[in-house]
Amino acid sequence: MHLKYESFVREPLVDGDKSYRQISEDIISPIEKKPGRMWYVGFFFSLALLAFGVFSVTWEVYWGIGVWGINRTVGWGWDITNFVWWIGIGHAGTLISAILLLFRQSWRTGVNRAAEAMTIFAVMCAGQFPIFHMGRVWDGFFVLPYPNSRGPLWPNFNSALLWDVFAISTYFTVSLLFWYSGLIPDFALVRDRAKTKLRKLLYGIGSFGWTGTAKNWQRHEMLALVLAGLSTPLVLSVHTIVSFDFATSVIPGWHTTIFPPYFVAGAVFSGFAMVQTLLVITRKILHLEDYITIGHLEAMNKVIVLTGSIVGTAYLTELFMSWYSANQYEAGAFKWRIMGPYWWSYWAMMTCNVVSPQLFWFKKLRRNVVFTFIMSIVVNIGMWFERFVIIVTSLYRDYIPGSWSYYSPTWPEVGFYLGTFGLFFTCYFLFAKYFPVIAVAEIKFILKTSGENYKRKMDVIEEKPVEEFVLEQAEHH
Amino acid sequence: MNERFEIPGSLKRTSMILLGIGIVTLVLGIALLLGGDSYDKTRFWAVLLHNSVFFTLITTASVFIQAASSLAQGGWIVAYRRVPEAIGANVWLFGLIAAIVMFLIVFVFRIDGKNPIYEWVTPGNDAALMHKKPFLNPGMFVGLTLVTVGLWAFFGWKFRALSIAQESAPKNNAKIYWTFFRLSGVFLLIYALTQMSTTPWMWIMSVQPHWYSTMFSWYTWASAFVSGMSLILLWVVYLKNQGKLELVTKEHIHDLGKFMFAFTIFWTYVWFCQYMLIWYANIPEETVAFKLRQQGPYSIIFYANFIINFIMPFLILMARPSKRNYFTVTFIAMLIIFGHWLDFYQMIMPGPLGEHWHLGWFEMGIFAGFVGILIFSVSRTLASASLVAQNNILLKETIIHIS
Repeated sequence: MHLKYESFVREPLVDGDKSYRQISEDIISPIEKKPGRMWYVGFFFSLALLAFGVFSVTWEVYWGIGVWGINRTVGWGWDITNFVWWIGIGHAGTLISAILLLFRQSWRTGVNRAAEAMTIFAVMCAGQFPIFHMGRVWDGFFVLPYPNSRGPLWPNFNSALLWDVFAISTYFTVSLLFWYSGLIPDFALVRDRAKTKLRKLLYGIGSFGWTGTAKNWQRHEMLALVLAGLSTPLVLSVHTIVSFDFATSVIPGWHTTIFPPYFVAGAVFSGFAMVQTLLVITRKILHLEDYITIGHLEAMNKVIVLTGSIVGTAYLTELFMSWYSANQYEAGAFKWRIMGPYWWSYWAMMTCNVVSPQLFWFKKLRRNVVFTFIMSIVVNIGMWFERFVIIVTSLYRDYIPGSWSYYSPTWPEVGFYLGTFGLFFTCYFLFAKYFPVIAVAEIKFILKTSGENYKRKMDVIEEKPVEEFVLEQAEHH
Repeated sequence: MNERFEIPGSLKRTSMILLGIGIVTLVLGIALLLGGDSYDKTRFWAVLLHNSVFFTLITTASVFIQAASSLAQGGWIVAYRRVPEAIGANVWLFGLIAAIVMFLIVFVFRIDGKNPIYEWVTPGNDAALMHKKPFLNPGMFVGLTLVTVGLWAFFGWKFRALSIAQESAPKNNAKIYWTFFRLSGVFLLIYALTQMSTTPWMWIMSVQPHWYSTMFSWYTWASAFVSGMSLILLWVVYLKNQGKLELVTKEHIHDLGKFMFAFTIFWTYVWFCQYMLIWYANIPEETVAFKLRQQGPYSIIFYANFIINFIMPFLILMARPSKRNYFTVTFIAMLIIFGHWLDFYQMIMPGPLGEHWHLGWFEMGIFAGFVGILIFSVSRTLASASLVAQNNILLKETIIHIS
């Protein structure tokens, strides 16, 4: 039996005096109760937003893409900005569940379930934009390579845009599998606790007949490891390929080699910010402060300051190279970014993404819930502006001054964006009501190592001389 | 739990022999190459630049690894953390050598009034180089180099000093632990502004001063990091074979193997992204670099680089048992260090030497000399304190660590 021990410098990951039973009770009982009034308000508001989004998109499909504000010079506007923004947000979940699993970070157990759910919803939102950006959306299936009667018309495999189709659909599939396979034991728990027939039936189907035998668990853990190994390169590949959409071109401001890793860092940055936004609220409403502790929030804030600084280094590198290159077009693109009519978007990006996360170097602020919540929104505003800056301010001052233009969104574009918020939150509200928002089985797994009540009993081990400790462990093995 | 390391005679002898080879090579180089034609002279300086910069960056990687694991509160590294500490504490030596070599190149080395390695020192009337003068000028070069080397060396020394101070601290007193934590944050910021950005532009990219790539510094970092991990692994395996490092088990070796595996992929990722984007966009200003390396006289090194640094470690380290086998990890670690030495070679040589490159006695001799210095200095540092980071807050975690 492996010793359950961790150092006293690590703060507990589960607060309070918890037993296995108590954990099930705390996390599963919200599913069994009727939701509060705020849930209904939030849910129907999200649904209304979604409906408005559907209306906006219908309008665009019916009248054509001309109802949007994009024009000949600025061919990509809010649509692609929002696409990249959402897909970036969809990076935190898989990073938490896959990469942090490989790094053996046990604090991920408190947040991985909600983060993975959020990832899936964010990718669903992201996927809408390129589809409807096609204009003639009914021809959308042309992107799929299959034997067809369209003669030479075949997807262009040289295009980064097509690579996106494969990258995102793969990412979505693997993330969904990962999330769902983690849910199976927890669904079985809901099933076993169920008091109503319907609940027993539905969660019984959902749990695939899980019985919790040793063999079940062994296969479950094996699957998690395999999926983690598969998703780790996917976390990098998706945003890498999104960055290729820009960087393979010869447009100043887009074509730069640092784009792939810097996009990935930015995606993780915004993804963690969105996880913070959701979890600060979720832990409060569902009373899960013992499981999503201040320590969890602090750990995520550390990731935010790290990735924010990586992104900052990349911004400054780009800026430096636009001068160092001695290339007038590079220099021009950055001049128009910083001092052109869209100067405010560049400075909003710099302030929100580079300057403000530096406040997280202070421990007091990292552990402040209200500040964390505000920062999480600031970061996501900043990351939205980053994409807007990259897309619009690289395009609007074309090589020929005659085609210079300005771009503002029209209402169907804004409506489309709001609609994806509707989709995202509708899904999240349903998730928070019907799914265990924390991975019960995984919390139980770390309880005896990182639970507050168990850590109190570790003083004995801490006091033991190292030699004696080594000998004891040698006997056990 | 005090475990002392006494430098075995064989190790001392090996380091002395390697060092001797290095010195003889250097003397021969001065006699034969500095007295030769212009390409011989350039070769002499370029090889010194290549090796001194490479060894500075891979030893500094050990300082970074300590800072990163401290910030992440990693317990896995504690069992052998004296190894990165000892490597990091010798950054000053390699930094000093690199600084001297580079200053000599910048200030002394001229052929017909031109500087063949750092062309920007003597820009003539090249408009692009004149434009870059605010960054690429001797004053800036000296300043940035001294600040970079000074700070890296300081943190390398400080981290080890703190770890040794912990030994005499009261039991379970975490004061030094948190000091280390905070200083690691400071180091990370410094590292971001030097290794992750400005320093490689200045030292390496400016060898071809017209060419530029925003990825460049991250790419050299990836190369230095994976080599730095391999270097740590070689020391750990060596000490283990000497019957030392009792606390290190296969679990710890497995961790190092995983890092070598993962960052081999990461290096390939940044290498490929840089290459692919330049190839795809096909802008002459940028493709010049790869024209020379891939299709020109360096093509053999270009492909060898990819095979040694990606295909081999990737395939060999993929399976779990090979990451837990002392032989395979040692073999791959040596391969990776050599491969990335080659990677740095192809970053530096094509600019000044063009098709007149050599991979012969001088290159190998100087490399051997640097390995000699590394073995000599690191083993001395290792011998000067316990091999176990006694009283470390995470020591018990590392004992029961499972990979």
